[in-house]
Amino acid sequence: MKKALLNFFKRIEPNKEKRPFMHTLFDGFFTFAFTPNHTTKDGVHIRDGMDLKRTMVHVVIALQLCYIFGTYNIGHQHFVAIGEYTGLMEGFHLKLVHGLIKVLPIFIVTHVVGLGIEFYYAYKKGHGIEEGFLVSGALIPLIMPPDIPLWILAISVAFAVWIGKEAFGGTGMNILNVALLARVFVFFAYPTTISGDEVWISEIEKIGVGEYASANYSWAHGLFDKLFGWFGWAQYGSGGQAVIDGYTGATPLALAAKEGWGAVTETYTTNQMLWGTIPGSIGETSKPFILVGAAFLIATGIASWRIMLSMLLGAIGTAWLLNMWGATPFMDVPWIYQFYMGSFFFAMAFMATDPVTAASTNRGKWIYGALIGAVGMIVRVLNPAYPEGWMLAILFMNVFAPLIDHYVLEGNIKRRMKRAKAKAAA
Amino acid sequence: MEALNIFLKAAFIENMVLAYFLGMCSYLAVSKSVKTAFGLGLAVIFVLGITMPINWLINEYLLSENGLFGTDLTFLRFILFIAVIASMVQLVEMVIEKASPSLYASLGIFLPLITVNCAILGGSLFMVSREYTFGNSVAFGLGGGFGWFLAIIAIAAIREKIRYSNIPPALRGLGMAFILTGLMGIAFMSLMGIDPAALASGAN
Repeated sequence: MKKALLNFFKRIEPNKEKRPFMHTLFDGFFTFAFTPNHTTKDGVHIRDGMDLKRTMVHVVIALQLCYIFGTYNIGHQHFVAIGEYTGLMEGFHLKLVHGLIKVLPIFIVTHVVGLGIEFYYAYKKGHGIEEGFLVSGALIPLIMPPDIPLWILAISVAFAVWIGKEAFGGTGMNILNVALLARVFVFFAYPTTISGDEVWISEIEKIGVGEYASANYSWAHGLFDKLFGWFGWAQYGSGGQAVIDGYTGATPLALAAKEGWGAVTETYTTNQMLWGTIPGSIGETSKPFILVGAAFLIATGIASWRIMLSMLLGAIGTAWLLNMWGATPFMDVPWIYQFYMGSFFFAMAFMATDPVTAASTNRGKWIYGALIGAVGMIVRVLNPAYPEGWMLAILFMNVFAPLIDHYVLEGNIKRRMKRAKAKAAA
Repeated sequence: MEALNIFLKAAFIENMVLAYFLGMCSYLAVSKSVKTAFGLGLAVIFVLGITMPINWLINEYLLSENGLFGTDLTFLRFILFIAVIASMVQLVEMVIEKASPSLYASLGIFLPLITVNCAILGGSLFMVSREYTFGNSVAFGLGGGFGWFLAIIAIAAIREKIRYSNIPPALRGLGMAFILTGLMGIAFMSLMGIDPAALASGAN
C-alpha cells in the first residue's frame, strides 16, 4: 500500500525546472503522505526544521471534537429557533446535514483563499509550501458566525494571510495571530453585516423590528429532502416558518451585558451553556469538548500549560475584582459564571497558546497569559462597544509579547551577571 | 479621580500614536532597538509632562482675554507653545548628554527633533480645545507621554524580533514599520469605547 502510493507520487512528480509551480504543489501534498527526512521538533518559530506537519496536525486533531459538535449545533440552534425538534437528538439527520451545508462552504472558502495565497508565495520564493495555514485554516471556520457571507470570509482570510503573515515572511514570522486577525478584520470592516443578534443562528432572517422568520431553504436542502423522503425520514420542507415566541437570537453575553446574570438564566440554563447548545460562533460554544482538545495539546507538548493556567488565573482574578466593584449588572455576574459564557476556553486553548505569537520565555508566558486574562475580562465587562474580549485581548498582548520577552531576557542576564560577579568576588 | 481617568484614557484608549497617529516621525525612526526607544520614550514623557502645565499657565494667564494683558492674544499660541517645547527639549538634551553620553549618541538628531514631534504640540492643542483644568492637563501630559512610550518600546521589541525574518525586500525597513503600526492600531482598538468617567459614576 505504502509502496504503491510512493510509486504513484514518483510517477506524477512534475519536473522541477520546467514546471516550478506544479512542483511546489506536488511537494506540498507529497509531504502530507510521506514525512521528509528532516522535520522540526520544536515550535514553528524555530527555523531549523524543514517540515512542521507533526505540530500542525496535532492541533487539527485537537479541534475535531469542536468541529463535530459545532456543525451539529448549527442545525440544532436553527431548529430550536423555529420550535421544531427541540430535543438535542431529535431530527438528528436534519440538524447534521443543515450544519454541514453551513460549515462546508466556510471551510472550503477559507482553505481555497488561504492556501491559494500560501501556494503562490511558496512558488514565488522557491521553497516548499509552509504548513502554517493548516492550523489557521482549521481555526478560522470555528471562530466565524455560522451565517457569515462567504465573500466577507474570503476577503478577511486574504487580509490575514497576506498582511498578517506573508508580509512578515511566512509561517512562524507573524506577530499577530493569523486566525484572530481574520476574525478581527470581519469585526471591524463589516460591523453592520456581521454584528448584532441575527448572525449567530443560521438561516434566521429579520423581517421587521423584533420579528424573525427562518429563511427559505437552499437547493442543497432540497436535494437532501429528496434523499430523506426516499428513506422515509423527516424532511426540511420549504422553510419560511415563523420563529417561536420570545425569540431574540441574543447570545448569553449580550443578555448579561444588558441585564446581568438573571436575564441570562431566564433564557439559557447553566447546563446548556456548559455543554454548548447555545448560539455562538461555530466552534466555541462547547466547553468540555474544548477542554478535551486542550488536554490533548498539553499532553502532546504542543501548547503551553503555563499560558493556559496563567490566563485562567488572570481572568478569575479580574472577574473577582469586578465583582467587588459591582457598579453595573454585568460586573455583578459571579466570577464563576463568567466562564459559562462566551469563548474564554476556546481562546485559552487554541488562540493564546499559539507558540509563534505568544511570549517564548517561561517567565514571559506567565506574564503574557495573566495579562490576556485581565485585559480580556476588562474588555468584555467594561467595554460597551464589544460583546466579547478574548480576541482583542490576545491581539493586544501579541503586540507586547516581544517586549515581555525582551525584559525577561534582560532581567535574566542581569541576575546571572550579578551571580557571576558575586562568585568572582568570593 | 477625574485626573486618573484622563491619564488612563490618554495612555491606553486614545493612544497618541496608535489612535491619532501623532509623533510618527521619531516613532518610526528611533524604534530599531528597545534601549534607544526606551530613552526617547522617557524623554517624551518628560517633555509632554512638563510642557503641558507650562503651556496651560501661558494660555490661561497670558493669552486669554482675562489674562495679564487683558486682550485676546490666542493667535500667539502656536509660537509660544513651540518656544516652550523647544526650551524644554533643550533642557532634556543637556541632561541626557551629561547623564548618559551613549544614549545621547544613539538618539542623535532625533533628540532635538522632539521639538517638532507632533505628539507634543498636539497634546498642548488638545489640552486647549478640550478645556482641561491645570491638574487634568498634567494628567493628560503624563498619560499621553506614557502611551507614546508604551507604543514605541512595543514596536521596538517587535522590530528587534523580526530583524531576522524573511520579509519581502520591498517591505523591509519603513514599509514593515508602517504595516506594524497599523496592526498595532487594530490591537489597541480593543480598549477603544471604554469610558472611565462613565464607569466611575456607575452608569454604563
